[in-house]
Amino acid sequence: MTTARRTLPPGVGLGLRWEFLEEVLDGPPLDIAFFEVSPENYMRRGGYYPAALERIRGRYPLVTHGLTLSLGAHHPPDAAYLAELRAEVERLDSPWHSDHLAFTSAGSRAFHELFPLPFTRDTAARVADRLEALAETLGRPVAVENITYYALPGPRELSEGDFLHELFERTKAGLLFDVNNVYVNAANHGFDAAQELERFPLDRVVEVHVAGHTRTASGMLLDTHGAPVIEPVLALLARALERTGPVPVLLERDNDVPPLGELLSELRTVRAVCERAWQTPSTREDARAERAGAHASGA
Amino acid sequence: MQAGLENALSELVLGPAVDAGNVGQLLSKHALDAGERAAFEADLERWLVYRKLVRNTLRNAMALAIPRTMARLGPLFDEYFERFLAEQGPRTHYLRDVTTELLDFCAPLWRTDPRVSPWSHDLARHEALEIIIASLGEPVVPHALGALDAERGLAFIEAARVVRYDFAVHRLPAGEADRSEPAREAVALFAYRDGEHDVRYLELSPLAAALVERLLAGESLKNALVSACAATGNEPAQALGGAATLLSDLATRGALLGQAAREDLRKPPKTSDDSGTLREKGHP
Repeated sequence: MTTARRTLPPGVGLGLRWEFLEEVLDGPPLDIAFFEVSPENYMRRGGYYPAALERIRGRYPLVTHGLTLSLGAHHPPDAAYLAELRAEVERLDSPWHSDHLAFTSAGSRAFHELFPLPFTRDTAARVADRLEALAETLGRPVAVENITYYALPGPRELSEGDFLHELFERTKAGLLFDVNNVYVNAANHGFDAAQELERFPLDRVVEVHVAGHTRTASGMLLDTHGAPVIEPVLALLARALERTGPVPVLLERDNDVPPLGELLSELRTVRAVCERAWQTPSTREDARAERAGAHASGA
Repeated sequence: MQAGLENALSELVLGPAVDAGNVGQLLSKHALDAGERAAFEADLERWLVYRKLVRNTLRNAMALAIPRTMARLGPLFDEYFERFLAEQGPRTHYLRDVTTELLDFCAPLWRTDPRVSPWSHDLARHEALEIIIASLGEPVVPHALGALDAERGLAFIEAARVVRYDFAVHRLPAGEADRSEPAREAVALFAYRDGEHDVRYLELSPLAAALVERLLAGESLKNALVSACAATGNEPAQALGGAATLLSDLATRGALLGQAAREDLRKPPKTSDDSGTLREKGHP
């Protein structure tokens, strides 16, 4: 069994977007710890983009983050697809592969969107089994990301935090902790993001995501990755990083992608938050002790 | 209950429009427990957010692939997009391939719908071909073609295809606002990706198209030439010079790699009785 390990340098990376690919290729070395790529965009294809990615791989560490594994679906991931994924992850020499705590398909239909899973023990057991099998198939550690959920299917058997604890007790996979998703969920469902964060198994974090979101006319927040990260999310990031210690942190921007210079400026802001948090005396052990106490008392 | 949940969400997100008045009927068709059903009904507006998100993602991918077709079809495209989602839905892991799935779904429907221009499917295929060719295989270096053994086949780069249209859609202006109509004309194009990763198109004569199709299918050079000539009403002896020029040009462009190994040869397909003449204008 493979255990997620931190083999990316702690620091701030950027989601690789085709909008600024040529600048990355042709420009001077950038102060970016790593790039994250979605393997689906490069799998089963030749041409310019895989060739460009191969050149970038020679200059920056890469890590893969998938979108379509449908880890929580009724049907397990397709074996042929997994074989292709393994080849791509090997080609890119990713230290681990991550995907989402979600289902993205129903039978043969692919949604190309992340749908929330019921927070139940059965679901946790199913996803844990899938993660173990995935690590075996890919031959490397795997991690799973908490998602934004605009609604939840069925009554909650567990809180998200307890669901994650249930999950991680059954798998050696790592947690890819998305700070913005916690913030968006808290705003949309009316709970306190900082308190929610304390319920997550942050000792299992191997990578952190941070992104911007947008607000609809009805006041709902959408996890669009289409705007700069706002200050309250940066504050939540700092709070999380004080507990995780130094880990790779990724700035995501997938829509309305600004010029690379603007993204690099935002990346420096995120990095400053990270460095301040990592200089703060660690409260990780305290957080773990509090969590253990809460679980023991059935909270 | 995960399967019931997935099926209900699939219909809610991909199926016909849903509102508070008909959601109960939709949910009753799926294996949901009372709690799950209540959660859907209570949070319907939020579940419908997913409906918008899925549609936006898929439409954006299609707008990248077939923008002119979408602009020309307008509301008709929306109608068929909805039918595609409701009756089939995307199957692929790869967002870039959803457009091809849509076009395969629409092809027989568009043929029988008088509201859809008869050239619409050709235009959509031609637009979508750009991403397909751009994504295939590896780049190659242009080279001179050496002496060829007629008993053996030829090897092409993976990113090479012969496509046939009933309309000259490849000559339409590139602008999305253009509404001119393509000429009704049987067209064969050789589409390939060059060493700079740019997608190129060469218009082929009927004989050239028949020849290259057969070579791509793995026939030996001799069999391909003989059967292509038979299919297009040409004499092999007279076609030799044009064929040599064509193949040399394809090698110079990097699309033709050279001679294939003997074991790569496949059984040649049947020749047809189609008649025609070698049109030198076809080949560049």
